[in-house]
Amino acid sequence: MARSHRRRELARRVADELESWARERAPELLARAEAEAVAVIRDALVDAALAERGAGAARPARPATPRPRSAPPAEPSAAGDTSSGHGLWAYCVTRAGTPLPSDIAGVADEGALRRVDAHGLAVVVSPVPLDEFGAAPLRENLNDLEWLERVARDHEAVLERLLADGTMVPLRLCTIYEREDSAREMLEREHESLTRALEALAGREEWGVKLLADAERLADEARSRSAEITALQAELDARTGGGAYMLRRRLERQVREAADSLGAELAEQVHVRLQDWADDAVVLPPQNPELSGHKGRMLLNAAYLVEAARVDDLHALVAELEERHTGLGVSVELTGPWPPYNFLPGGDTAALA
Amino acid sequence: MEGSSLPIRPSGGLPGRPAEQTNLADILERVLDKGIVIAGDIQINLLEVELLTIKLRLLIASVDRAREMGINWWESDSTLQSIGQGDDDSQPGRLEQENRELRERLERLEKQLGVGNGDGEESSKKGTRAKSG
Repeated sequence: MARSHRRRELARRVADELESWARERAPELLARAEAEAVAVIRDALVDAALAERGAGAARPARPATPRPRSAPPAEPSAAGDTSSGHGLWAYCVTRAGTPLPSDIAGVADEGALRRVDAHGLAVVVSPVPLDEFGAAPLRENLNDLEWLERVARDHEAVLERLLADGTMVPLRLCTIYEREDSAREMLEREHESLTRALEALAGREEWGVKLLADAERLADEARSRSAEITALQAELDARTGGGAYMLRRRLERQVREAADSLGAELAEQVHVRLQDWADDAVVLPPQNPELSGHKGRMLLNAAYLVEAARVDDLHALVAELEERHTGLGVSVELTGPWPPYNFLPGGDTAALA
Repeated sequence: MEGSSLPIRPSGGLPGRPAEQTNLADILERVLDKGIVIAGDIQINLLEVELLTIKLRLLIASVDRAREMGINWWESDSTLQSIGQGDDDSQPGRLEQENRELRERLERLEKQLGVGNGDGEESSKKGTRAKSG
């Protein structure tokens, strides 16, 4: 009798322990599952891309890649040079005549940055080899995180250099033209919206703000702020044996919920203060720690559009906000100035769908 | 250009942040998810873009966020559990470590409850108390 009771008790404790272990490890296990899932997708994409290329070669009548218009053979001087296997990678749109840095490489080591001017606007481009940046290889490469990282960093580095010289509209990664004429046509077609965007962004900068919290200190603080949790803890301390286990679980859950809501409250406070102060604000999803390498919990990830003349004040405001919450193990991270990715008209992901 | 050696990203007043290496997540969440979308000559077809978007969302967003967005297919696909073990050396090692941790926990529990072969401090204490009580 006592033995079977003890067994049941053991089973229950083990189940409880396993559950808490699983909960603890869930983020890591899921992160691994994600990585594996991503590998599966990548393999599927590579297979599909290879199959498509194979099919294209077997049936030469069918164009290997759909093209919006039939391009006449380009003059070598007209750049693009699809005949020699090169396209033009576009970085951003600026005012015509913006000076270009000569000492920075673009996403490919195939030639200097150049500007295609039209209608008072300019698109900054650099030549890229189509055997790496053509439609089919691009699909493969985009699913290779190392390739993607290199290209994204190179793209970003060009934008940051140009940012120092004036207002820009950053383009999404992988905007590629076959010829300068196509880029010129784009400037003509999008002239109105691009000009409006440049006007709206003039003299303003994008800055990123993240709120990071030490999970344990946040939980401790949430614990100490709640009378209910304190009472529950006292009750638990007074109890011994297996009867305490339900109580302990309830306590754990309450602490978790209290820490979540305290974190949300802190994020809200910081965001509202910055949003009131800035010209515009965007809240972004919290980042994957595997990619960002951040420690602790990311309570807030946001971007703010700020007048360039007020950036010193932004630094002061962020320092003040950090000071206010430092006792809670919360830090505020400021990054920038960024190309104004988050403050473009129609720059929403919905445009992709 | 003058001043080309200056760091682009001012790091003044931002303690603990390396000036050179910008966080990859910061860059990817912008260059892939934001930035104006204008049609180029080289198109990536929609199917791939969708797959790519899902993948990138997984990389960029946290797991909780992915779940909120209804992306949880890795949870129901049992084939994903076995993939990657063959060619990834780190996987078996990690699983072994997890198993070891679990075994250790079970042993501790058994000792606490005074069952099994454990005769550690916990079980002898418990035994003493049981006799005297």
